[in-house]
Amino acid sequence: MNCGEGIDTRQIDELFINLDPIQAGGRLTTDAMKAVLAYGDGYSVCDHCTKPFRLDHISKPPLAEFHRDLASFLNMDVARLVPGARRGFQAVASALVKPGDPVLLTAYSHYTEFLSVEQSKGTAFEIPADESHIITPDAAAARIEEVIKTTGKTPALMFIEQVDYQYGNQHPVSDLSKVAHQYDIPVLCNGAYTIGIMDVNGKELGADFLVGSGHKSMAAPAPSGVLATTSEWAETVFRTTGIKGDLTGRTFGVKEVEMMGCTLMGVTSVGMMASFPHVKRRVKEFDAQVQYVNRIVDALLTIEGTKIQSEYPRKHTLTRMNTTDSFDTVAKTHKKKGFFLTSALRERGITGILPGSTRVWKFNSYGITSEQADYIAESFIEIAEKEGLVCSR
Amino acid sequence: MSKRSVDAVFQGLYLLTDIRGMLRDTVPYHQLSVEQKKEAEKILGKLEKQIAILKEELLA
Repeated sequence: MNCGEGIDTRQIDELFINLDPIQAGGRLTTDAMKAVLAYGDGYSVCDHCTKPFRLDHISKPPLAEFHRDLASFLNMDVARLVPGARRGFQAVASALVKPGDPVLLTAYSHYTEFLSVEQSKGTAFEIPADESHIITPDAAAARIEEVIKTTGKTPALMFIEQVDYQYGNQHPVSDLSKVAHQYDIPVLCNGAYTIGIMDVNGKELGADFLVGSGHKSMAAPAPSGVLATTSEWAETVFRTTGIKGDLTGRTFGVKEVEMMGCTLMGVTSVGMMASFPHVKRRVKEFDAQVQYVNRIVDALLTIEGTKIQSEYPRKHTLTRMNTTDSFDTVAKTHKKKGFFLTSALRERGITGILPGSTRVWKFNSYGITSEQADYIAESFIEIAEKEGLVCSR
Repeated sequence: MSKRSVDAVFQGLYLLTDIRGMLRDTVPYHQLSVEQKKEAEKILGKLEKQIAILKEELLA
């Protein structure tokens, strides 16, 4: 069934339990799907845009209120919608990093954090992870000292992931922020895997900038996200335009330079806003989601040879497994080779794991029910037993 | 302009979206609980009303 010429109707989330590592938290709520139907047209939120002609001032639909609510939800002072977390990184780096400035990232920083530094012509310095795949305050302090010693400059910014994309591990942001602040280094906390999934309190984390992803964790259409900051930094990162056309003398009101004026002018902002009441409720239920993922991991660990590479017990639903000594041994002789696992899961109505993966792979169980957690856990064991692997349940 | 028919189109789409949400919630086998079946019945009943409105507005 097509939804346009040559465009197949996507029915993944209607037909399968979707464990895709990056898709789970961005699955739309029914209210967001309704918003998509009503606000799909290009500039659909601009019908009632009046002076000062800026997205965060529009009151119908209630975007102005939504911006205020978002800031309060994150316990920050000011928030703006951005077209994806990456544009939040870009805005902050552009405002704070000057050519040649050292910038701290971590061993688990997303590539777009690096690109934002590159675009601002900064120099990237990574804080290494420890053997448990955690970024520690000691490692951060050591790296700051080293960078200051070797470059003669204090880093202009420190990026830190609250939960990283590689292991789904939680890093001690609050302690890391304290270290950075001792050197007067502003902190950008990347909450792409946390904001909209779990309770995030920007001030408690000590974040000067908090960046979230709408399409990754706030049940919103892509590209969407949020950049929140404190009153101290708001004027810097949300500075308004001062440029003037030399021939026409035109000026551009209160458009914000780093935002490139208005950001999400249609379905993305309204989709995000429609999901927001659900998001506010679901962050309070994160503990149940953590129980479910641990149930799945516990089942996987009963399969002889299976290891977990993420911190365990799990504190987040994004999880990295190593089945080199279990499922991959089957793949060596199976007629479907490495595809046997994802194929067997698909036959059971489960999808989202990278096809062909039997060594190191990730899944994200966010959004499932207790019954679905049991079903997934049982499915992994059933597949393992069918292929002759020993399970100790 | 038939505001009534436009409203019926959106109302119908929203009701179908509620069914879509139900399908998503119950993957992979879509085995609805007793409560979900009752809810689905209610939604489908409302949907039929919207379709009746559209027939009345557009085809009469």
